[in-house]
Order: sequence, then structure tokens, then C-alpha cells
Amino acid sequence: MTKKKTALPKKRSGPSSPRHTHGQGHCVDLLRQLSAYIDDELPSDICREIRRHLGTCPNCEIFIASLQHTVTLCQHHPVPPLNSADRANMRRAILDGANAR
Amino acid sequence: MRATAPKPPQRPAMQEPDEFDKLYRDHVDLIYRYAHRLCGETESAKDLVQETFLNAYQGLKDFRGEAKVSTWLYTIASRACIRMRRKRKGQPEHELSIEEFVPTSEGEFRLQIPMDGLSPEEALQNKELRQALDQAIEKLPQKYRMALVLRDMEGLSAKEVGAIMGLNERAVKSRLHRARLFVRRELSARGITHHGDHKSGGLRS
Ligand SMILES: [Zn+2]
Repeated sequence: MTKKKTALPKKRSGPSSPRHTHGQGHCVDLLRQLSAYIDDELPSDICREIRRHLGTCPNCEIFIASLQHTVTLCQHHPVPPLNSADRANMRRAILDGANAR
Repeated sequence: MRATAPKPPQRPAMQEPDEFDKLYRDHVDLIYRYAHRLCGETESAKDLVQETFLNAYQGLKDFRGEAKVSTWLYTIASRACIRMRRKRKGQPEHELSIEEFVPTSEGEFRLQIPMDGLSPEEALQNKELRQALDQAIEKLPQKYRMALVLRDMEGLSAKEVGAIMGLNERAVKSRLHRARLFVRRELSARGITHHGDHKSGGLRS
């Protein structure tokens, strides 16, 4: 997100967004709200505004996609299962420990 | 911080060790998974599980069903984890600020995580990506890691996470957001390719 304008300004911003603000400020404000946006916790008017921004700002669009991917990966984070020997050994150790304390 | 959950009906006095066995049987896998995600490896996870259930065993007779059993165990495990870590290494936790995650270049903005067209399970078949995720989580300062693990990995609500960590929902969400931004940056900055077996450096163009 540098100040430099993209090479194809008019075409990209589409028909309805002449007042789209490409400034750094807008993108940073959005970045603060992205988790709330992903978790669907924002009021609908703010969501609409964010969607409008995303439609005209490829940087933010890519950024939010990568944050969404991060959340999805975390939600599927694999953990090797506990085997039954460990399960039994730990149980014994806990009961021993409880009796010892 | 004490458990501060609303009072539900009184439970009958518990019959150790039968009641303990049921508690253990029903929840050991859950707590092990949580412990593994917090600790990042098997041996510490097992230590944490034992410490958790030992504390639970001793607290069982006082547990009056004020919270869901799983919430109660998550809370015990979280506190035990903080205690155990503090003992192991004394360095202070650093705070994460939103500002440090604001991209400063177009390239940084556009870093990506290789998932296009893949299900998360398929994407995580990529060993490089899986390891990067594990390492990113491990690098997170503990209080952020705990919020992320409880919310995004264990799938609890922000309210439940708050009850476990002794925080209000707003604070949970703030930590969660920073934690996600941290992990995103760690994952995307690695330039992982679609197939982990290509050691060619990545898709960072
Ligand atoms: Zn933007």
C-alpha cells in the first residue's frame, strides 16, 4: 500500500465509486475491523461499506482473503491423537499424584 | 482470577474415584488436544494434562457445577499452563500492537497463503504449511496464543474464552485479532508454495 496509484485507475474503480478513498487511512481503519468482519459481528451498514472498499481495493481484498485463510487453517489445525497407553499411564500418574499430595 | 460463573443447581457430592474416572474418560482427549495446541509438543502437553487433572481431582469436591465441566477444565488447564511456563522461563510477555501489522508496502499487503481451490484439510497436507502454522502459534506471546487456540481452534465463543481467561469479550476479541494478524504475517511471509515438496523459494512475486 504505497502512495503510488495503480496504472489503471478509472477502469478499476467501476461505475459507482468516484468518492472511493484510496488513502492509507481507509485501509488501516479496515484492517482494525477485519476480525469482526470475518466473524460477522459488525452492523450491516459497516459491512456494506467494507464490501464496497474491498471491491475497489485489491490490496485489502487480498489481505482479508489471507486473514480468512489463516482463521480457516486454525480451525482445522491437526493434533496427533492421544494413544491408549498414554491415556492409561497419565491416569495412573494422576491418581498416584493425588494420593501423594 | 477466580472462576466467576453463574450458579447452577448444586451437584451431589462426588464419589471419587469413580467420578474422577468418568471426568477423565470424558474429557482427557479434549484437554490433551488443547494442551498440545498450547504447548506445541507431546511431552509438555502430557505434563499439562496431568497437572490439569490433578488439580481437577483435588477441586472436584468443590466443583458445584457453576460452569460447564469443559469450561472448568479449560480454565484449570489455562492457569496451569501459565504457571508452568512462568516456572520454565521468566521472560516477560511482549504486547502486540495493531500498528506493527499494518503493511508498509504493496508487496506486504499482497502476501498470500497457498490455499486456492484446496480444502483446509488438503492445504494442511502440505508439510511446510503445517509446520509454519505450528511455528507461528508457538511464536505468539502466550496470552494471544491462548485466545487464538480457545476461539479459533477449540471453537469456543468469545464469551466462553473470556470466562476462561478472566477477560471481557472486548479484550478477548482484541487479543484474537492481533493473534490472527500475527499468524497471517508469519504464514504469508514464508512464501510457501502450493506443494511443500518444491523447495524453490515460493510465490512471492
Ligand atoms: Zn484498502
